[in-house]
Amino acid sequence: MEQVFAYPAKWWSEAVAVWLVVAVVIYIIVAVPGIYFIMKYRFKPGEREIGDHENHGHWGLEALWTIVPTIIVLVLATYSFAVFKKQRTAPPDAMVIKVTGFMWGWETEYLDEQGNTVKKVLTVFNPTSYELPEDQKIVVPAGKPVKALLTSRDVIHSFYVKPAMITEDMVPGRITHLWFQINEPGEYWIFCREFCGTGHSHMFAKLKVVPPEQFAAWLKGETNVANRDLEEGQNI
Amino acid sequence: MREAISVPYLKAGLREWIFTTDHKKIGMLYLTTTYIFFLVAGLFGLVIRFEQTSPGYQIVPPDFYNYLLTGHGAVLLLWWGIASHIGGLGNFLLPLMIGAKDVAFPRLNALSWWAFFGASVLVLLTLIPGNHIKMMWTGYPPYAGNPDAGVTALYVFIIHLVGVSSIATAVNFITTYIKMRAPGITFWNTNMFVHALIAANVIQLVGVPSIAGAVTMLLTDTYLGTNFYNPAKGGDPLIYQNVFWFYSHPVVYVMILPIFGMFSEIVSTFSRRPLFGYTSMIFAVWCITFLSFIVWIHHMFVSGVPDWARVLMSYTTILIAVPTGIKIFNWMGTLFRGAIIIRTPMLYALGGIFMFLIGGLTGIPNAMVAIDLGISDSLFIVGHFHYVLGMALTLGIFGGITYWFPKMTGRMFPENLGKLSFWLMFVGANTFYFFQMVVGMLGNPRRYPDYPPIPEWVTLHQIQTVGALILGVGILVFTIGIIKGLTSGEEAPDNPWESQSLEWRLPSPVPVDNFGDEHPKVEPDYHPYKYGAPPAF
Repeated sequence: MEQVFAYPAKWWSEAVAVWLVVAVVIYIIVAVPGIYFIMKYRFKPGEREIGDHENHGHWGLEALWTIVPTIIVLVLATYSFAVFKKQRTAPPDAMVIKVTGFMWGWETEYLDEQGNTVKKVLTVFNPTSYELPEDQKIVVPAGKPVKALLTSRDVIHSFYVKPAMITEDMVPGRITHLWFQINEPGEYWIFCREFCGTGHSHMFAKLKVVPPEQFAAWLKGETNVANRDLEEGQNI
Repeated sequence: MREAISVPYLKAGLREWIFTTDHKKIGMLYLTTTYIFFLVAGLFGLVIRFEQTSPGYQIVPPDFYNYLLTGHGAVLLLWWGIASHIGGLGNFLLPLMIGAKDVAFPRLNALSWWAFFGASVLVLLTLIPGNHIKMMWTGYPPYAGNPDAGVTALYVFIIHLVGVSSIATAVNFITTYIKMRAPGITFWNTNMFVHALIAANVIQLVGVPSIAGAVTMLLTDTYLGTNFYNPAKGGDPLIYQNVFWFYSHPVVYVMILPIFGMFSEIVSTFSRRPLFGYTSMIFAVWCITFLSFIVWIHHMFVSGVPDWARVLMSYTTILIAVPTGIKIFNWMGTLFRGAIIIRTPMLYALGGIFMFLIGGLTGIPNAMVAIDLGISDSLFIVGHFHYVLGMALTLGIFGGITYWFPKMTGRMFPENLGKLSFWLMFVGANTFYFFQMVVGMLGNPRRYPDYPPIPEWVTLHQIQTVGALILGVGILVFTIGIIKGLTSGEEAPDNPWESQSLEWRLPSPVPVDNFGDEHPKVEPDYHPYKYGAPPAF
């Protein structure tokens, strides 16, 4: 069995592939005859000066290109519904983190089974670069589903986990959620995708995926919230 | 008020232009204003494009970038997307196509224009550095009330004034169509452009109050201490998104339906053949109009609304593909066994249909909620709506301008400049927006002045900039074409395209009182697409 890189990205890519095949086929069915007609049925003086004026409609054809597309799109929507259910339902053994967005950065809390905060990580906006200090990276274990509860402290932000191809807005006054699982250790991008002002394009984080043992050790380590530089950074 | 419309508009003085109630002059005012705004907002777009050519901030700081992006979006949607062809071409053509002397309420029509003019002045005021608005054209709270977002009131009043103008125009056009058709013009032989125009204005009438309410609550929240959108006091920012998109999704059909109408006019005329499936075209228009009001959640698929609402509106959204598909198939059916003449308007129409085909097919993943979770708010959606609202719409309007240029000005649009401009725009736009969709699929978020130096992103952005430059040159050539056509274009015959439609029976340019005091004589078997029979006049 091949190694799956990330969920729900796997199902997402499959859905994209399905759409792409359908779209390319429809494109060919429409564009190729279209271009052929344009080249073939040209106005020619003395030979073809007027188009076919007997047939200006064909109920059979028109019904065909109403009913067939209806079936195609309903099948696509139902397939998307099935994938959507999997994307939105975190496995029961998922680890829970809570991420709060603010202008501009993130505060990530790691919750235990009772919902108590075990550790906090503060990631702050760096207006000039896309590098992040080691202690500001959001660390998660590889091969374990992670459910993220999302909210915001000020305006609407969003939490886009690039390797997992999943997004959800962070809305003040609400708790939204998404889940993801990354099987390969490494560093990945997280971006804010809901417009949130001057710092929007630098509202990013690094997702550091590490083997589970390493994660357990990290979770027991120091939090970076007391760091004085960060307190200042937050006031930018 | 006979005297007020008695001066031909090319010879009219300033006083005449200010006090005019003539639908043709008001149409020209709209068209000229929106074209200038289109050029300026297009330049904003070029700066936005250059900024993204490579990572890092290069030419503009991020807050100014946000202003440019807000202006680009708001002006191109509200000015170019709605007013240019409803206020502009719609005003000019509606009475001509139904054989009327003017619209039903000429003074209300002038009021529409002046409200729109007021909105235009407010937009110009935002150019002053302290007045920048930076909340994007969507103006989502709570951000829109944040000091970082700029002057909220300016944004709200711009929407209000455009809204007043839109509602007045909608009432006017719908009444005109119902009450002022010449005897012989019925629902079943009305031009597709008029059908689409009326459907668009029905959407305006039903929808505009909704967005007006949304921004009014934004205004009172920001300045008067109400809490509609403030979660700390029991409000909810998602109320805004719901009320906003209840209008702002249907509005994309306000923008594109009249363009479909123009495609139908042009394709039928230059195929020398009746429009294929006229009846199903009308059915499709009204089907889209109805569906457009029950799909708005697809703009909010990741906003935290309940999952059942997302699935429900995923189904309704994807169903819109059916009536739009019917239209594309019918245009292909019109080309089949036609006698196709490739002139400038036909090139634009065919190019626009081609762009819309890609735009429609790339709309499907936005309707499929499972795919949208991965591409929401990425550059994919930006590329997609630039195919439909950017290029299908612009090529449609350019097609409309070149097609009715003789009727509006009495001169022909220069053919060589028109064709050159088309090919530049077509190649440039496809280079630009196709790769914008690709970089979006790879995850690049939208509304980003800066992005991390991921190598494939950088390459894709550079390709887009090349495309944007070619597109820009194409639009410049078209602008030169307009000026050249107006000043030294060859004199136009009354019916240069040998169209069967009613407006071409008038002299070029159209006399001030159109058909005169009498209704035009419309023969019993009149049909705007009755090609194949000798001209009826």
